[in-house]
Amino acid sequence: MVKRTTNLVVALALMVAVCAYLAWGKPTNVVGLFVVSGMAVGSLYALGGIGLVVLYRATGVLNLSNGAIGALGVMFAWQLQQWDVPHVATWIVGILTTTALALIYGRLIAPGLAWRDPVVKAVATLGYALIILGMTAFLWEDDVRKFALPSDKIAYMILGMRVTLTRLIVILAAIGIVVAVWFYLSRTRTGLNMRALADNRDISALIGIPIVKTETIAWGISGLIAGFTGLMFGDLVRLEPFVITFMVIPAISAAICGQLKNLGVVLVAGICIGVIESLLTLHPFLKSVRPMAPFVIAILVLVWLQRGRMNYFAGN
Amino acid sequence: MKMTVSARVGLILAALAFVFLPMVLGGQWIKILISTGCFIIAASGVAFMYSRLGMVSLGQVALMGVGGWVMLRMNHAFHLPFEVNLAVAGAVTLMFGWLLAMPALRMRGLYLALITLMAAGGLEVIFSTFRFPNGGEGFWGVMPSVAAPFQRPLLATEDSDYLRYIIFWIVAAFLIIEMHMRTAPGRAWAMIRRSEAAAYSSGVNVVYYKAWAFGLAGFLAGISGGLLAGGLGLLDPATFRASESIMLFALMVVGGSRGWLGVIIAGILYRVVPALFNDWTIDADLALVIFGAALLHAIITAPNGLSGQLLDLIAKLSKRT
Amino acid sequence: MKKTILASLVAVGAISATSGVYASDAVCGLNNGQPATGKPIKVGGIFGNAAPGDFSSATDAAAAYFKCVNDNGGIQGRPIQYMVENDQWNPELAAQAAAKLVKDENVVAMVGNASFVEMSVNAPLYAQSNIMAMASGCAASECFESSNIVSTNQGPLPSSVGAAMYAVEELGATNVSCIGMAIPSVGNWSCGAAKDYMESKGLSGSYVLLNPASPDVNSALLEAISSGADSILVNLPAGLAIAFLGAAEEQGLADGYTWTSSTPLYDASVPGALGEYWEGKMFISAELTTIDGDGADNQNWLKVMDSYANPQDPRDTFSQSGYLSAKYFVETLNKMDPAKLDDRAAVTEAIQNINGYTSDLTCGPYYVGKADRHMPNHAGIMVGLKDGAFHVVRDCFEYEGPYFEPLKAAEKKLGLR
Repeated sequence: MVKRTTNLVVALALMVAVCAYLAWGKPTNVVGLFVVSGMAVGSLYALGGIGLVVLYRATGVLNLSNGAIGALGVMFAWQLQQWDVPHVATWIVGILTTTALALIYGRLIAPGLAWRDPVVKAVATLGYALIILGMTAFLWEDDVRKFALPSDKIAYMILGMRVTLTRLIVILAAIGIVVAVWFYLSRTRTGLNMRALADNRDISALIGIPIVKTETIAWGISGLIAGFTGLMFGDLVRLEPFVITFMVIPAISAAICGQLKNLGVVLVAGICIGVIESLLTLHPFLKSVRPMAPFVIAILVLVWLQRGRMNYFAGN
Repeated sequence: MKMTVSARVGLILAALAFVFLPMVLGGQWIKILISTGCFIIAASGVAFMYSRLGMVSLGQVALMGVGGWVMLRMNHAFHLPFEVNLAVAGAVTLMFGWLLAMPALRMRGLYLALITLMAAGGLEVIFSTFRFPNGGEGFWGVMPSVAAPFQRPLLATEDSDYLRYIIFWIVAAFLIIEMHMRTAPGRAWAMIRRSEAAAYSSGVNVVYYKAWAFGLAGFLAGISGGLLAGGLGLLDPATFRASESIMLFALMVVGGSRGWLGVIIAGILYRVVPALFNDWTIDADLALVIFGAALLHAIITAPNGLSGQLLDLIAKLSKRT
Repeated sequence: MKKTILASLVAVGAISATSGVYASDAVCGLNNGQPATGKPIKVGGIFGNAAPGDFSSATDAAAAYFKCVNDNGGIQGRPIQYMVENDQWNPELAAQAAAKLVKDENVVAMVGNASFVEMSVNAPLYAQSNIMAMASGCAASECFESSNIVSTNQGPLPSSVGAAMYAVEELGATNVSCIGMAIPSVGNWSCGAAKDYMESKGLSGSYVLLNPASPDVNSALLEAISSGADSILVNLPAGLAIAFLGAAEEQGLADGYTWTSSTPLYDASVPGALGEYWEGKMFISAELTTIDGDGADNQNWLKVMDSYANPQDPRDTFSQSGYLSAKYFVETLNKMDPAKLDDRAAVTEAIQNINGYTSDLTCGPYYVGKADRHMPNHAGIMVGLKDGAFHVVRDCFEYEGPYFEPLKAAEKKLGLR
């Protein structure tokens, strides 16, 4: 516990120091704009990271196809809107589609790889990502599209920056998912099973935990989150399948900061990454390599977390 | 040193390819095989790290980019022979490999893979922001007009000779790895793979040999990046995306990591198959679907890779006759 | 090759059924109604089509025009065999495609090329093989600054300078911030020229570069605003531009600033994607005439497309540009010595001698000449958004600024001024 607190304190202190360095000598109102804007982007990283961690904890699969699944969902929702289907229905269908896609992988493909190296499991999901991405790109040719939500029209002023309701929904949803998953894991029977599965798959199987059922639920939840994330990315980033698909790579960096297990840290880390990335705009040289922020931060966090370990005994 | 059957077959095939391939192929196929060859060298680095040490590198293609960048930088800055530039590219990338090794030494499994992926993601941003030198001024060496001429090796200025040059390097890369396997590093790696603690307690310098492995993989990536730069005369950041590094690793798993055949299969899947799909005018997106499905299928059904399946098949057939 | 298989099957049926009917309408090559016979003349073309963009409409239009020419006397009676390859934005595939066409198939020229990467990769090969590429969709500096490539389209540089000129002359801008992609041969090059233009007029200019890898477009918007600009020039690919303008809409910035854009936003899907908010506020530089332009040549392009192209092929700027390149190529070869039509050196020389072709599709004359750089098209029009469609707000005007001075001097020498 002490170690954990030190970690958090050190991380936050460093974060504040970096932000102060970048913002030094700039008018406060400008800095405020960049901070708010960064939080908005960071919440997207956090949301992506949370989706990855929820599944990883329960099944040991780092699902690189999360982005592709979400992209297909939002493209489908967009298509339905073009056909004048009521908007609420399109969102539901979009999210149901992603849930189905995640379940297909979870039930049909993942079991065949259950006993393989975690890296191979992760890499296999890339194959699934390519299938879905290829189909999505084939069905919807490259074109200029826009996916809008009604909440885009409602905005609030925060530190001089207009923030749409959609962006607030992202942050609130991220917090909501973290809390809900925490409750689910700690208070329900299937949540307990998931934790057992995450700790040790073999022993869980031995003591009679219904592995298939538990994992199916986990895949379903991750599909729901991927669908919601896809809708948000389609609205706030760009409605382009390739862009949404590969958003998964910076999202991994937020997941890494939470050591692929601590959802709260993933949330905070995602937002911090976004703020630093945004504030880098104020730096004359580093602004051109701003998108490196997630990766550099993830590497620093990994190095920091491994600091006590001897070089001889590498661990997971 | 004793030669295994597989090594003999490999060397004979390489010799045949060296003599005949450039003679029978047209300009397009020579280009395709030049690219393929470069990625085979890079894949050999990933494969030995995975099969001998159980270490996963998801940053190999990004490291190739480093090698390619240095190669182009050297080419446009000085008028040194190709081989000197290639050696510098290999050496610098080797050091990058070490740099990557520093945080990576304390990790294994998924974390190690992810830290290499994060490095690849960072390099992707650098490449796409600063591009590759094409003969311009300054450190980054980029100018808006067409790239300045690239000086290929004196022996291989034509594409067909350059393909021979690449085949030579593929054989050299395999031999370098094989040499390591048969000497002290190979033994140390075998111990480390079993148990780092056991290796440490029996006097193996774990840090030294792990760093060595990273360096070797980096060196191979650097050489292959340099050779790829030579093939085109310039490089584009799209080649070195982080997702490409994941892809190369995935195809190496599909091909099989234990022998030369698997690495060759990985290279063919990575560069020849997409070129074929393009030549058959299969939609680029559908090609992606086919590719993804094949990847998934191969990973699930062939735990030892396609090369393992192929060798089993050959063994079965030879038993029957 | 993006069109779905089903669509192309339908299209094949449609073309074979209708081409006879419409063929008399479209004017192509010798226009004598005689099918071309004999040994075909081999011509190549390379386009890029994979995410994030599809440039195939240029080669599609060139192919349609060549088909029409083959039905109408061909090139001095001989048919054109047009071979196109996709580079998928991959430099290695681009080099392979060029090796196939130039080395293995021995094409006499490249026509209709449209790509981000192909020209940069293959320019040395074209120079070395002494072959000309009459490109239609150049998007990066390398394409304009090379000896053996000449493009009908303008590319990002002239297009942004045109937008900046409009902002200054018609919208009263004094400080333009150009938003470009963080790619030296695209963003820095074109936004740099827009900045030079501003400075040459004694005004201020700056640019903000956006990394396409970043999901965050807000920061670039904030950076542009904090630069003190009163006008913003969006010089991004359409998808990214829509995202950027979405962020601007979120901040409610359309009224506080004047807004212009380079050509990528001149696309049929853009008004729908931008929505009402930008009506009357966004002005876009078009490189060629409008898609529905009523000039004879533009109408002929539409007819050729209707009769010989796939109904799904987009009718856009690149399509116009591909048609024009193909048309100029056929015109040039029809004037050549028939014995030399298969001689690459002779064809190259004939193309290099092109001097002063005109069309209502472009504002200025088309010429090639022997030079290290080619940019014949550096005058254009501006369109505005109104009622969900584009309307011309300023007709042909020639771009100014330091970048064009050497080009204008060269044109004087050729007797075009």
